[in-house]
Amino acid sequence: MLNWDDYHTDDPIKPASAAVTSPEPAVVENAIQAAAEEARLAPAVTAPAGVAADAKGAEALASNLEKAAEALANLDITPGLEELEMGAGRISVDEKAMINCRADLNQLVPFKYDWAWQKYIDGCANHWMPQEVNMTADVATWKNDDGLSDDERRIIMRSLGYFSTADSLVANNLVLGIYRLITNPECRQYLLRQAFEEAIHTHAYQYCIESLGMDEGEVFNMYREVPSVAKKAAWSLNHTHSLSDPNFNTGTTEDDQQLLRNLIGFYCVTEGIFFYCGFTQILSMGRRNKMTGVAEQFQYILRDESMHLNFGIDVINQIKLENPQLWTSEFQQEVIQMILEGTQLEIEYARDTMPRGVLGMNASMMEEYLQFICNRRLNQLGLSEQFPGAQNPFPWMSEIMDLRKEKNFFETRVIEYQTGGALSWD
Amino acid sequence: MEAISYYAIEASSELAAERGSYATYDGSLWSQGIFPLDSLDILIEQRGADYIDVNKDKTMDWDSLKAKVATQGMRNSNCMAIAPTATIANITGVSQSIEPTYQNLYVKSNLSGEFTVVNPYLVKDLKQRGLWDKVMVNDLKYFDGSVQNIDRMPEDLKAKYSNAFEVEPRWLVDSASRRQKWIDQAQSLNLYINNASGKKLDITYRMAWFKGLKTTYYLRSLAATGTEKSTVQTGTLNAVSAGAAPTPAPVPQACSLDDPDCEACQ
Repeated sequence: MLNWDDYHTDDPIKPASAAVTSPEPAVVENAIQAAAEEARLAPAVTAPAGVAADAKGAEALASNLEKAAEALANLDITPGLEELEMGAGRISVDEKAMINCRADLNQLVPFKYDWAWQKYIDGCANHWMPQEVNMTADVATWKNDDGLSDDERRIIMRSLGYFSTADSLVANNLVLGIYRLITNPECRQYLLRQAFEEAIHTHAYQYCIESLGMDEGEVFNMYREVPSVAKKAAWSLNHTHSLSDPNFNTGTTEDDQQLLRNLIGFYCVTEGIFFYCGFTQILSMGRRNKMTGVAEQFQYILRDESMHLNFGIDVINQIKLENPQLWTSEFQQEVIQMILEGTQLEIEYARDTMPRGVLGMNASMMEEYLQFICNRRLNQLGLSEQFPGAQNPFPWMSEIMDLRKEKNFFETRVIEYQTGGALSWD
Repeated sequence: MEAISYYAIEASSELAAERGSYATYDGSLWSQGIFPLDSLDILIEQRGADYIDVNKDKTMDWDSLKAKVATQGMRNSNCMAIAPTATIANITGVSQSIEPTYQNLYVKSNLSGEFTVVNPYLVKDLKQRGLWDKVMVNDLKYFDGSVQNIDRMPEDLKAKYSNAFEVEPRWLVDSASRRQKWIDQAQSLNLYINNASGKKLDITYRMAWFKGLKTTYYLRSLAATGTEKSTVQTGTLNAVSAGAAPTPAPVPQACSLDDPDCEACQ
């Protein structure tokens, strides 16, 4: 029977009641007693109690203010001023550069890289949160023994396992690695937006894992325990090592190329290739009306990732334009090599996640698809295709990804929207 | 529309003769002899003649119907409305009754899944002119279902197959205003505004009110960016050229406001 007494059963336990249910009540009691004893004894030292406490408080405040004033009076602003370049001429657009820029890092305007600013604005207009997606049907499918085949379950687990790790890797690389090395505020503005989006994506995976009641330990440790997942994670991490050294800095051809390697490793390979097998599998599942909530989460994530990837490619191409000396033929060869390595790892992942044909696809179809994606990444960087003639063998992706979507407001969350702040009021 | 209105009202009146009028009929507009066409005069009085650009012509014998209602009453307080027909329209292969097509090629998404919808009339016209081929499909995908920027698209077809975002809301609101002449209840009118601004929304909704619309329904917009396309070779998401030529950083192209897919505006 419904009972008002149950109203508070789910409330978080308050500290007061925690003491009651504490496994060591005796210790807590002792501590309370001791504190009370101390409080009782304290006023005896300084009498009269009330007045003294007030006076003491006022004295403490005055001394705090005094200390602050003293610190300001003795403030040495020279180190700060050096960084701010006091008295230098105002920043002009020409002084801005993608890397190794000496211009003031704190000035967003005048804009030079409008594309980066635009991507930041677009990213904000695309804002979404994982809880907005309805997961009820997924929970029913997942918990029903006949809901999914073992192969399909394997795909869901592997995808969540890899992606939950990968988006954290990307976020860490952004914030701890490349942010300080990209020396213009427009791009940094987008990097901050991207970093938040990575947090949303990690949240989305966690939200799926939690809603479905999966074995969290198994999913979150996959990057250490499942070879095909571990290899991809390790490959990405390899490219972040040198940048995460706090003493690393750009400025020499070698170091600038190191940054480019990292950007290519993370944007073109991790976000541009490593996500594509898993995304395709999950979207195919959604298309068959299985795990539609997870599939919808992935559609939002994929839209964001498309922006990340293409921002990264713009950054790389802009650095190339400004520093043509970095883009030597040996270096180009190396980049081709990296992208091929990534493609190969993703093909191995496809084989591991699809030991048999599933969802109307199999590992060898995925191989062709990944070769098609590989060609596209090479093209975007101005490099030659390595798999001439590779085609996308999944024409249905056009329905899932390429076209505008008219969604029913009452049935599902509409994907064609722009968040309120994007509205102009001129 | 006049005939539908006429016979719907007549049928309700016949029902009233058989089973009695609805409970609150007395004092209603029907009981005062005010029909949809007459309420147009009240509207003009209240909103101003400048806003109500509707001719009051009629071709049927409304006076005798009025006399009938006056003696028999009405069984229904409201007889007519235009309902939204989103999925039903797709199933029967037409567009959504009073609205332009969403896009000429798009995906409909609801609880039962996603399916591709293509404008069959456009396909027929293109086939007749020998223009329906893989390249055309590719172009339609590339431009998100809009025909305006496809070079091979004949001008008359561009005008004929403007999508819902390319037909300005003024035409949707004006048409609804004229339709209201015959309708006693309301119309589920969806509005489509890309690159919405406060000003556009303000004008659209106030105009809808001045023009006597009793309600509007969804307001649809488009996302700022889409996913990288998977079955089309080239994409629109990159701004910096991969070419080795050392050109200065690209400046965004000037916006032409009539291009709903202009990236800068989105």
